[in-house]
Amino acid sequence: MSVVRALGRVCGCAVLAVAVGTASAQEKVAQLPIRTDGPKSLDPVVGSTVYDNMACAQIYETLLVNKYAKPTEKEPLLLAEMPVSEDGGKTWSLKLKPGVLFHDNACFTKTKGKGRELVTDDVFYSFKRLADAAYELESWWLLKDTVEGFDEFKRIQNWRGSMPERASWLSNQSPETFKKTLFDRELKNRLDTALKDKDEDEVAEITRKITEQFNKDLTPADLDTLAAEFANQPAATFEAAEFDYAAPVAGYRKINDYEFEIELVAPVTRFEWVLTMFQTSIVAREAVEKYGDDFFRNPVGTGPFMLESWTPKKDLHLVRNPNYHEVMYPERGEWDRPDQRNRLHRAAGQQVPFLDRIEFTMYAQDQPMWLQFEAGRIGYTQVPDEYFPQAFDKRTKELLPSVAARGIRGHANKLLDFIFRGFNMDDELVGGYGPKKKALRQAISLAVDLNEFNETFYSGLNVVYDGPIPPGLDGYPEGGTSSAAYQGPNLDLARSKLAEAGYPDGEGLPPIKFYTQNGGNSPEQTELLQRQLSRIGVELDVQLVDFSTLIDAVNKKNAAMFSFAWSSDYPDGENNLALFYGPNEAPGANHYNYKRDDYDEMYEQILTMPAGDERTAIMVEMRDMILEDVPYVGSMARERHYVINPWLLNCKPTERYYAWFKFLDVDDSKRPER
Amino acid sequence: MWAYLVRRLLYYIPLYLCILLVLMLLLRIDVDSAVAGQLGKQATPEQIQLKKDKMGLNDPFYKQYAMFLGDVFTLSFDQRSWEQELPVGEMIRKALPPTLMITLPSLAFTAVISIAVGLVCSFNRGRFLDRGLMIAAVLGMSVSYLVYIIIGQYFGAYVLGQQHGITPFEIEGYEAVFPPIEGSDGAWFVPGNWIKYCALPVIIGVGVAMGYDTRFYRAVMVEECARDYIVTATAKGATSKKIMFVHMLKNAMIPIVTRIMISLPFLIAGSILVEMYFSIPGMGRTMITAINGKDFPVVQATVAVFAAFVIVTVILTDVCYAIVDPRVRLS
Repeated sequence: MSVVRALGRVCGCAVLAVAVGTASAQEKVAQLPIRTDGPKSLDPVVGSTVYDNMACAQIYETLLVNKYAKPTEKEPLLLAEMPVSEDGGKTWSLKLKPGVLFHDNACFTKTKGKGRELVTDDVFYSFKRLADAAYELESWWLLKDTVEGFDEFKRIQNWRGSMPERASWLSNQSPETFKKTLFDRELKNRLDTALKDKDEDEVAEITRKITEQFNKDLTPADLDTLAAEFANQPAATFEAAEFDYAAPVAGYRKINDYEFEIELVAPVTRFEWVLTMFQTSIVAREAVEKYGDDFFRNPVGTGPFMLESWTPKKDLHLVRNPNYHEVMYPERGEWDRPDQRNRLHRAAGQQVPFLDRIEFTMYAQDQPMWLQFEAGRIGYTQVPDEYFPQAFDKRTKELLPSVAARGIRGHANKLLDFIFRGFNMDDELVGGYGPKKKALRQAISLAVDLNEFNETFYSGLNVVYDGPIPPGLDGYPEGGTSSAAYQGPNLDLARSKLAEAGYPDGEGLPPIKFYTQNGGNSPEQTELLQRQLSRIGVELDVQLVDFSTLIDAVNKKNAAMFSFAWSSDYPDGENNLALFYGPNEAPGANHYNYKRDDYDEMYEQILTMPAGDERTAIMVEMRDMILEDVPYVGSMARERHYVINPWLLNCKPTERYYAWFKFLDVDDSKRPER
Repeated sequence: MWAYLVRRLLYYIPLYLCILLVLMLLLRIDVDSAVAGQLGKQATPEQIQLKKDKMGLNDPFYKQYAMFLGDVFTLSFDQRSWEQELPVGEMIRKALPPTLMITLPSLAFTAVISIAVGLVCSFNRGRFLDRGLMIAAVLGMSVSYLVYIIIGQYFGAYVLGQQHGITPFEIEGYEAVFPPIEGSDGAWFVPGNWIKYCALPVIIGVGVAMGYDTRFYRAVMVEECARDYIVTATAKGATSKKIMFVHMLKNAMIPIVTRIMISLPFLIAGSILVEMYFSIPGMGRTMITAINGKDFPVVQATVAVFAAFVIVTVILTDVCYAIVDPRVRLS
């Protein structure tokens, strides 16, 4: 009996070995699309587009990440646990997950190419890169005015090189900027020399002089004089060291290799969301230094995949990181009912990634992407509007039975969009806060029928809603409508409001200068807007311009009315309410130049409040304040529909974040034969 | 002839320098807006200034011009693309081969087929064959290139593969036909890749271009048909094949050469539509992306290369005239 058992075991082991051998020989590969030309850079600090995000999020990782099963919530990724604050959100204690290794790469000379462990210094180094002007400060806005001493660090470190042209640039800046910039430079150069010579009297004297000089308000004449002096300085005066990553920042405090603290200027709720954004991903310093200008195509991170090849505008191939740290697929309980029905919980509790390779292909046009999906050659695709009726019932937005019968799954995502047409509140004609001025904007808003826009240009797929807070976030009105809104079409009320504004039937109202981009279907959308407004006698002076001219006109406050869209950076209504915060006025994100002290006070209040009913109530009050003042006509948000081929498993596409590709798996038996 | 070539080259150098000067001036009319556009709507004045510093746009114009001339005459194009961060020279080097794999065969097939059809039509002028082929040519010209691409891609690649299991052509994509040796298991020429990724775009391109070219060549041949030497050859009893391919074709070479030579510079410009729809990372796609994105270094470099090609082509055309027509003397 024992011999038979032993034989059985041997045979069993042999069969298992063959099976394992076959399985390991069969690579798991997913072919996935990137709509448009794809990423521009694989360096997170210079990335800005969703395609940069999509690529970077597979290679690098952030301290926190959105949850795959519930993307509006977050969880630790490179951290061992969620950050803790014991002083109401001003100082945060963070603990790194031990044993997280960077990708193996030739840049790690000390370890002969083996990826080393991630430590606290890597976090500080990666964050400091955001402040380095060599990367054009593309992502600086994320940590601007946020971390104690970081803005000062940025200013001091970026003054290097001698460029007399900067003087003329400086003289065009606000006195505040000029003062700060010059002061820092003086401080850095003159004091450094005095300190080097250990001349305490000189140090005291220079400090006193500088303080005296810049404590008074500067007139334009002072600025000119200073600019001239500045320009006449010998080049060597302004030569400073390279950006010094070792220089301390008061708000970054290292405890040990795995623990550190971050002190903020003031408690800000959004800080944790900043730690989920791909621009704050942790990079290997050795790689940045080794590859220099070519780091953007030689990325080294800690992510689940490593770059194999990247041909811009063509494809991007990633391979599994064999040293990926412990990250598990979400547990069954985290998935809601519909997701469980779609078997999204099937891999619960298993180590990721499942795929050996991901092959992204860039599609500049929709037809080839759609045909490749139909042929079963790519795992999923966003459904372009013109192909929507081929996959979904337009009325119910359900997958067509013929499509579902092929095992294809559908999935919809409401985007955090805020599509609007804004007013410049500083404009003489349409701006202002008096009853007549408000009545004019209310009349315009009441004359616009957003549903007609939705049907005509978006196949009725967009969500029309009141207020600036998009669907799914605290502060979004129930059912999308608020009683405070002047949502059209209500032509009778619009006409009476117009009369109230002093322009009965539009008489005496000059054409309103409306700036919009000349690409896509903007000209057609503008035609419709003109037609709708003409019903109450309002005329537009349309300026169809390219994007840079549009931005320029808005930033210089030359556009009375303009067409823009905003996509939330993180899932918190605060992000959208910031668009109306006075200090953010143009050229900042407050393109409307909306300024109300009571609104600003409330905004500052919610910035530091934890999420909850009290915060939401204030946000609703702010929203209704905006709706009453009508600094824009809106709003709409896009709803994106996806179709997923049966061979791609665990797929729940979301555009809130892109670090979810590691959860994907494939079942090759369900692929169509080629 | 060499003296003539040198003289022509010297004549074109100032012209070329002027082209580059005008190009750079035009691109710098509203440089701030272009930089702001690159940075997006959140761009601060500080960021715009930094970007301009990095791009060398704060340097005096003469310095920028001199640096660009240096790039052009050394063919280095070291400046990096604003959009893609890649050195422009590398972008052009990588985009040229896919484009040439499409445009060269397209030009060759179009020329050969169109000339042959033009000859046949002219020789059968007014007959059913001539009228039939001309109607087909006009029909071919009347439909947009985009329609041919969409239909060709759908039926030629997708339907053929999905419904009939025949997949000679890929729906989109590109793999090198002449891959670098180290990345291709030693193969330096992979004809299968050309059939898979380039043949369908070439077929579509030839189909569209034939409409225009056939009509042109027919007109040229018809004009030749009325010449005295054709009547003489016919009277002497030369066969129609000999008249067409020996006498008529040889004498019609000047306009044929002109038309082909005019097309040469466009070989490197590629086809925007084909490259966009078939996801071919060629010059057309590179150029249109650069123009849309106001990526000045790429626009400058591609225009400079294109202008140089046009000038070289014009000079070569003169040389070709001398070769095909012994009466032409280059002096």
